[in-house]
Amino acid sequence: MTPPETTPPETSVPETSVPDLTDAAQLSLASCAAEVGEIFARAFRTLEGWRDAIVAAGPVRAAELDALVEALVVPALRAEPPAPGGVPESLLIGAGFIAAPQYVTGRDAHFAWWLGPLAGTPLLGTTSGPSRLDLAARVNTEFLRDFRELEWYQVPESTNHTHVTGPYVDHLCTFDYVITLTMPVRVDRDMVGVVGADVFVKSLEQVLLPHFLALASPVLLINEAGRVVVSTEPSLPAGDILPNPRHPLGDYDRMPCPGTPFLIATRTRNATI
Amino acid sequence: MEAQLRPGAREAIFAQLIDAGRSEQVARRLTDAIILGVLTPGERLPSEQELARRFGVALITVREGLVLLRDAGLVETRRGREGGSFVIQTDAPHSALLQARLRGLAQVELSDLAVYFSTIIEGCAERAALRASPVDSERLRAWLADSAGGGTAGARATAGGFYLELAVLSQSPRLVREHIRLQAEFGPLLLLALGDAGIRSRVARVNGEIAEAIAGADGPAARALVAGQVQDLAVWLLTAKARIERGGQLYDPA
Repeated sequence: MTPPETTPPETSVPETSVPDLTDAAQLSLASCAAEVGEIFARAFRTLEGWRDAIVAAGPVRAAELDALVEALVVPALRAEPPAPGGVPESLLIGAGFIAAPQYVTGRDAHFAWWLGPLAGTPLLGTTSGPSRLDLAARVNTEFLRDFRELEWYQVPESTNHTHVTGPYVDHLCTFDYVITLTMPVRVDRDMVGVVGADVFVKSLEQVLLPHFLALASPVLLINEAGRVVVSTEPSLPAGDILPNPRHPLGDYDRMPCPGTPFLIATRTRNATI
Repeated sequence: MEAQLRPGAREAIFAQLIDAGRSEQVARRLTDAIILGVLTPGERLPSEQELARRFGVALITVREGLVLLRDAGLVETRRGREGGSFVIQTDAPHSALLQARLRGLAQVELSDLAVYFSTIIEGCAERAALRASPVDSERLRAWLADSAGGGTAGARATAGGFYLELAVLSQSPRLVREHIRLQAEFGPLLLLALGDAGIRSRVARVNGEIAEAIAGADGPAARALVAGQVQDLAVWLLTAKARIERGGQLYDPA
């Protein structure tokens, strides 16, 4: 558990008078963190399978690559919009392979990306099943320069590691609040692209909320920047940043979710409420 | 400078349409994009089927819209496997089209569009200031620094892209969607003001100040700066409309 970095200025209760958390609460938090870790571990295992299949296929023509990626990712996408209140059968709302410049012969960039069913987006309207993202026809030099700068591409390229971007508002595909997972695909020492998947924050919330609500006190899932992903603290909703003037960092204990850049945060027992 | 244009600005062109007179709307949306250089000379438009799907209209509506564009001399249609509708190469400014558009809207409609546009983007900026992480703020500064220059077209692309960045930083999908819709409808007209060198330099300076207000988590300052900037653009637009109505030019030759 990460100790609080600052003492809450307004608390009147001495820091040492109560234990931070009971053992039972500690255990519940650990199970929430483990659940988050497991969700992302599953998703990354899926991405590893795609990566290996793309590497095994070797350099192929665009049409063959597209057929391969479609066969890999479409079965993993959500097939139908979830019923109201229902948990989606898959967390993945978009997935595919984005090739590095020149990997696909004669192309500056190549997007083999599929989207699950979307409701009322400005670009695609409402779709009832998986559809291919149609940026490919519109990719040109200015866009090429753009996408290589984007976090979900640039970070795996520079670090050679998997990366989690977000949560952020995706204004290219889904026009929704998403988390993007990307993994570099390497042939020898060269990165030939990234495999990736998008997760709706609202879908992640559906999965995690029962775990969070089972705890007695408010719980937050935050990223490394403190951005709230899922929260049972109504005054600190998704999109807000912890800390902020109303929620000093010292009011929260934080516990890393294994294998992810996320943390579970919960109020310390002595925080002012 | 074309290279600074973000994909979001391009995709906004194809955002869904809502009202009647849809073939005219298809034509207008594409006309705006061509005038502003978002769709570049020689570029092939998406297929008729694709346009119909994206705009959410019938195929026949798209075809009617494309006829209007052909009649206006903005696109040509080529047959065959490599065929489609292509933006015509031209260096001539499309000032006649723009002036017709400006004359077609009443002053009260223009100022109301400016109020609505401003309200949304002010809200985005204020929320962005409350929610931007230090990394976000640094990225926004770098984005602006990369976007300097490029004359009128570059300034338009930067201004439109900057507004989109503000919307995204609000962390609100609804604000982003509404902003994209509004920018598609009104952005091309509002950003006409950037043809004026004085406005261009003011907008560049104020954009920097907005980025600093966001970095400083000063929501009210970010909101006030954005409101002032949109007001500046709207005043120019209304002045230009009055100039045209008096028989003058879109841009003041003086």
